[in-house]
Amino acid sequence: MIVILPDSSSYDICGDRCTVGSILERFGINPLEVIVSVGGNVVPEEWVVGGSDTIRIIRIAHGG
Amino acid sequence: MATSDPGNDGRIRCALCNELSVIRLRDRNRQLCAEHFAADLSERVRETITSHAMIAPGDRIAVAFSGGKDSTALLLLLRDLVTASDDITLVAITVDEGIAGYRSDTIRSAESLAEELGIEQVIVSFSGLFGKDLDAILESQKERACSICGILRRKALLSAAQAAGATKIATGHNLDDEAQSVLMNALRGDLARLVRDSSSRSGDCFIPRIKPLKDISEKEIAVFLMARGRFPELPECPYTRYALRAEIRSRLSSLEYRHPGTMKRLVSGKERLTSVLDGIPLGGAINRCRECGEPCSGTVCQTCQLIASLL
Ligand SMILES: [Zn+2]
Ligand SMILES: [Zn+2]
Repeated sequence: MIVILPDSSSYDICGDRCTVGSILERFGINPLEVIVSVGGNVVPEEWVVGGSDTIRIIRIAHGG
Repeated sequence: MATSDPGNDGRIRCALCNELSVIRLRDRNRQLCAEHFAADLSERVRETITSHAMIAPGDRIAVAFSGGKDSTALLLLLRDLVTASDDITLVAITVDEGIAGYRSDTIRSAESLAEELGIEQVIVSFSGLFGKDLDAILESQKERACSICGILRRKALLSAAQAAGATKIATGHNLDDEAQSVLMNALRGDLARLVRDSSSRSGDCFIPRIKPLKDISEKEIAVFLMARGRFPELPECPYTRYALRAEIRSRLSSLEYRHPGTMKRLVSGKERLTSVLDGIPLGGAINRCRECGEPCSGTVCQTCQLIASLL
């Protein structure tokens, strides 16, 4: 699966299926500071990903 | 049967229907789909508005609308909540501070959304009101950026709201913003500001301010917009990195993650303190600014002093 971080850098991760929450933890990201989309849909942290999924992590900017 | 455990496909379903979940409500441990989450959020905003009597029949509400996420959510929610009641009108006020490489995109996005929603919009600029844009004003004092910008934005918003004949000013402050302000004022030892009720009446030209999103977290606002395809992926204001708030925001957010409910407890503690200390002056005797009539400790308020220094 491909993980795209807020700074646009991307990582190809292989391994077992895991939750979005555990991916955030692996990158040291607080789930409250980002939203995550898988295949273009926003998903909760309990969502399980793997295989050919593309996981996009979007930082929630302050203000507005 | 709705479940919060992932199915064989790893997907999680809404607790109220069979659609895919977009968020887990942490305080109720409940997964909701986009539609049920939007309904839940809208209902909570309606409760906030009702329980604080924020809006009354006949109100003309000036919505502080920057085009960023909070004000976009505010405008969408208010439009849906007030269309049902006839007598209330909305006017979106967009303040162009003049921040190179940042503001023009958000202004464009604000203009197109107001037009799409059919909401009247007024755009005012710092350069038009104060003779200089924010970049020029801040040339030698970037570390004060957010406090100077905040003071001027407040003034710009108020004069635009007055010119538009508004009876209320609605801002997109969310739960995270409110909690950050409590902690910031506490850390600065600013007791007067800590317990001040930001909607309390003051000044002759006063328009009450309301914060309909004050019980909604920043994450919820972002998910609400993302699920509707309305999340404005805009850059962060280049000046925020100079602010104490940026540091507090990140620390408070970590605390909230590890100790759910921290932000709500902080804000409700502050609200209790405000009601207990109601009417007790904490910052010495209160005078009226001789320029604008707002309460202040000296003869001219902070806003009028700042504006005079720019002219
Ligand atoms: Zn549902
Ligand atoms: Zn004044």
